[in-house]
Amino acid sequence: MTQISNEAEFRHALAGLDADRQRAVAALFVKHVLPLCDDERIAPVTDVAAREDVPEDKLAEALRTARTTTTDCHARCGAAGDWSAQAGYFVARAAVAALTPAGQMPGGPAWQAAMASRMAKTCAAIVTCDDSLGRDSEEQYRILVDFVNS
Amino acid sequence: MSASLERGIHAFKEAIDGPVASFFSSCVHCGLCAHACLFYTETGDPKYTPIHKLEPLRRVWKQEYTFWGRYARAFGLSKPVTDEELGEWETLVYDSCTMCGRCSMVCPVGNDIAYMIRRTREGMAAAGHAPEGLIGASRRAVTIGSPMGVKLPALEAQIRHLEQEAGLTIPVDLEGADYMCLLSSMEIMNFPEYIGAIARIFKQANVSWTISAVISPECGHAYMAIRWEGPNLIGKPFSFQVMHIMEVLDQLREEGRLKTTGKEKQRLTYHDPCQIARRGGVLEQPRNLLNIVAEDFVEMPEAGKMNWCCGAGGGVSANERADELRLRVFNRKKSQLDAVRAEGLVTACSNCRIYLEEGLEEYHMDIPVTGLTETIAEHLVEEGEGGER
Repeated sequence: MTQISNEAEFRHALAGLDADRQRAVAALFVKHVLPLCDDERIAPVTDVAAREDVPEDKLAEALRTARTTTTDCHARCGAAGDWSAQAGYFVARAAVAALTPAGQMPGGPAWQAAMASRMAKTCAAIVTCDDSLGRDSEEQYRILVDFVNS
Repeated sequence: MSASLERGIHAFKEAIDGPVASFFSSCVHCGLCAHACLFYTETGDPKYTPIHKLEPLRRVWKQEYTFWGRYARAFGLSKPVTDEELGEWETLVYDSCTMCGRCSMVCPVGNDIAYMIRRTREGMAAAGHAPEGLIGASRRAVTIGSPMGVKLPALEAQIRHLEQEAGLTIPVDLEGADYMCLLSSMEIMNFPEYIGAIARIFKQANVSWTISAVISPECGHAYMAIRWEGPNLIGKPFSFQVMHIMEVLDQLREEGRLKTTGKEKQRLTYHDPCQIARRGGVLEQPRNLLNIVAEDFVEMPEAGKMNWCCGAGGGVSANERADELRLRVFNRKKSQLDAVRAEGLVTACSNCRIYLEEGLEEYHMDIPVTGLTETIAEHLVEEGEGGER
């Protein structure tokens, strides 16, 4: 694979990966936005997701940790919104997507992890009023091409 | 009597309109409402009986608007409602009622108990008895226009990025459009993918977004507010139709404008949001939609109009003090899910969705929760693709 230039090609390429490789590339998407999340629980579970030979019980434990983090940091209904914290929430959601077994998530884990990672970037862009921060799709295309070619 | 208590009692008197007075007169003290209430069934504590939560309002009704009540008051035979009593009832009225309306459904004399709770809250708030979370949310709704303080530039940024990333057009303030989509703050903050899902579906169905009919988002509170509270507030019907997004999507399905491909393989079930299903009657539409994308759709016991609340409606989710009780009564939803061995949970309210996730987490249940609009969008036939209807 030499290039991905649009969403259709991106989705098609992700869908062509088996479950382990979907999880591994999803982890790369999460790592790319990891600095936006202050919660220390997410980096270790992302490392677990990145491994292709990880046992089922380790995966399940990492998924539970990621889910707990997500529910701990979502915006409470009626609470004053904090977009920096919200960026962290979406990074946690991306980690949940990466660790969720294929078939349990519409669109697939890697696609959902990519979308949640982009939402994290958008939240960061809202904080800084810097639109360029929100354009993460091309970076994800590059990550996927490098991953497939590696 | 303190000024705040005086304001509260005055607000109680104002709250006792014809329906409330007739409801109190009609109550036969049967206790059926207790068995319909999530907070009573899951705790067994009689203080959570819905009609008991209305006791301060009932006493004001009796003392002010009934012959024997006035007689007793005149001769000092009844005690006036005190500020301490309102303080005691605050947690009952705000923490242990989600306004789900299940009690109203079972009342044999037709009392709308949820409506009476709502009126009681008005008096309680006037007397200075309301949770901090709700006070803050109300203040932001009035001053900023969003209970979570979401401002237009943030929404514009979300829209801009969705357009840039996915090549979608999301029209804002488009004159002459057919539908106007509303968004809840919860969707903008926690589930912006809903906006992208709507854009993808409407693009495929060739829908232009109007103002002659207003589309309420996946939010139970928004639906209740725009569909009933708005017209009640202005005292006349709107000049436009209000539809929930499920109603619009199902209409598109009926018209053959919603083309999907493939189905979810895991066993899915649907959580009916109280305001949308029980109060709004939007029952068949989500099921019609799920049936086109779910291979193994199962109904939970008591699904539909008598479904059990997630435990977080009616402002309970905004009230941190109520967290422990909310998670305790989630046990009912756990039982419903256990009964059908669901592998995935779909709903159509962003508030339900996030607190279902919390409840599942609390009870160590490994069940992903998704929004129905996004689930449909994930199965749309893309341009140049075949697909099935």
